[in-house]
Amino acid sequence: MANAKQKAEAHHDHHGHGEEHFRQKHLMLDPLPRGRMNEMVMESMLEKPTWKFWVVAGFLSFIVVYFLFYKWGVLIANGQGEAGVMRPDYWGIFLVNTVFWIGISHAGTFISAILRVFRAEFRRPFTRAAELMTTFGLVQAGFSIFMHLGRVWLAYWLMPYPNQRMLWPNLHSPLTWDLLAITTYLLSSTMYLFLPLIPDMAMARDRSTGWRKTFYKTLALGFRGTEGEWAHLRNAMNIFAFAIIPVMFSVHTIVSWDFAAAMRPGWHSTIFGPYFIVGALHSGMGAAVLVLAVIRGTMKHMDYFIRAEHFDAIGKLMLIISMAWAYFFFNDYMVQWYGGDMWTKIMLHYHEYGPLNWMWFGMLFCNVVLPWAILWNPKWRSTPWLVGFVGIAINIGMWFERYIIVPISVTINRMPFTWRQYEPGIEVPMGIGTVALFILLYMIASKLIPLIPVWEVQEGQMAHELKKFGRETVVSVSELE
Amino acid sequence: MTETESKVVDLLAVFSDLGPASDAVEHLRSLGVHDDCMNIISGVPVTEAMLGRPQQWTNVPRIAMGGALLGLGAGMFLAFVTPFLYPYPIQVGSQYPVPGPPTVVVLFELTMLGMLISTFVGVFLDSFFPNYRPMKYVPEISDGKIAILVECPHVEENKITDALKKLGAESVKPAEAQHL
Repeated sequence: MANAKQKAEAHHDHHGHGEEHFRQKHLMLDPLPRGRMNEMVMESMLEKPTWKFWVVAGFLSFIVVYFLFYKWGVLIANGQGEAGVMRPDYWGIFLVNTVFWIGISHAGTFISAILRVFRAEFRRPFTRAAELMTTFGLVQAGFSIFMHLGRVWLAYWLMPYPNQRMLWPNLHSPLTWDLLAITTYLLSSTMYLFLPLIPDMAMARDRSTGWRKTFYKTLALGFRGTEGEWAHLRNAMNIFAFAIIPVMFSVHTIVSWDFAAAMRPGWHSTIFGPYFIVGALHSGMGAAVLVLAVIRGTMKHMDYFIRAEHFDAIGKLMLIISMAWAYFFFNDYMVQWYGGDMWTKIMLHYHEYGPLNWMWFGMLFCNVVLPWAILWNPKWRSTPWLVGFVGIAINIGMWFERYIIVPISVTINRMPFTWRQYEPGIEVPMGIGTVALFILLYMIASKLIPLIPVWEVQEGQMAHELKKFGRETVVSVSELE
Repeated sequence: MTETESKVVDLLAVFSDLGPASDAVEHLRSLGVHDDCMNIISGVPVTEAMLGRPQQWTNVPRIAMGGALLGLGAGMFLAFVTPFLYPYPIQVGSQYPVPGPPTVVVLFELTMLGMLISTFVGVFLDSFFPNYRPMKYVPEISDGKIAILVECPHVEENKITDALKKLGAESVKPAEAQHL
């Protein structure tokens, strides 16, 4: 009898179902006192930056100043001729980057709002990191569209008020819908970032001195954590979580209509809306997992909050999204190929056999082959650097996809005498500048804003417990709200 | 009633756990402390049901709805009025001056914008944010403690303090407003 019991225990341990195993694996089952978690998050922010941090920050600052702002000054001074856009490629890298950055920004809402609505508990430690990506990504998208605008000082003409010539914005145009959608999304995602940040700002206020105390005190707005304050905050966050999802969907759908509303080969597709949304989620999740891998690898105590289980969960989502992207891509391709329109056929041929066909194949490799090859394996997708690598690859693939849709597809139109391959000019350094600004903003934020929503983690830990069903130990989650 | 008897004091009792704090709320009620004279302060969102407290009133959903209507109104102005404010009519393809599908887009975006901005503003209005005046608070709350702020007559201060300590309060002190 004793032997059987020992065997059963050995079997139990072998399969790793012991309580200790669960605690090591799941953040929600491995609680620390709240004070200790606060300390860890504060230490991760207040840790004195190493020389490497300053070197990277200095390098990025140089890129931002020279490649982004100085080159933008050159573009404004000399005009759009500095860029490679000319007939028929009036839409170039500036718009590729706009679509790309809006795509990146989708991960924040997806992780924070959709996973909150569906009560996916693994989201808790990294919602803020993803929401920050949304806001900073949209800043880059805004910059990119303003670069494309050329006479950027006249951007206010887009605002819905009558200018000197009594012209209201033309609301028939998808570009005006873009303005409304992106403005709505930028404002709402920034507010959605700020609301759950208030309790953490109060936590940071209680533990700071000097200028940081003033900074956190100002942003904490006098929050104490009274019943009323939590009730208002909870209500608002629920409204935001539900309402921001259709806003997120609308943004990239409208971006897709910038293309699909035109009667061009390759663009005039009814499936472009969902195809763009899935593409945005694909690149956004890739960027989110990369950010998490970097945060975990470089910031103090982050290995407690961000664990293999989180990479595993995001890896599964990435795999599903990759499959969905492949489905939409094939659906879009199939119908165009089958349609038999001469110009569409030439365009598809140009994608696959043209001088930039490496980009088309690269897109399929990075967006489908590589994620499927790596993310099917639970061990591989739980390895931070490997999933981070897949995240980089997906973002490269998704940038290729946008490049194929915008300047490469624009090359082929119904007037062959205008065909000309797009050769980017000043757009390249300026695009690099937006990447540098995104990383720089993130680095600055990591030193100023608690990247882990400690109160959300503690709330999750309160709700989780281990239960025994016979000899089996299982994770149980209570519905606290 | 003398002036001392009618004087009201605020006590701040700090608990380390939810259980004792909810017991304390119930006991305070049995001692005659009305729900309006208690406030729970915590570092995590503890629901009213957990502590046996009455549901908190919040205007946020109503303010959000009001904002949505304002946004819808702004959208309707843009979609239905501005096309007729041009000095000359604008023709886009064969579309009507107020085309159906684009109008849906404009109405949707501005309704959502109005709703989300007003939800955000609603939190500020309902919570009286920003508020930088001195307030009754202890920093231990953000370390996971739960505090009960009790307003009681001066004459009952000792009775309530003793009761709260017996129920597991780590400390019970007269609450002093301080700059956070």
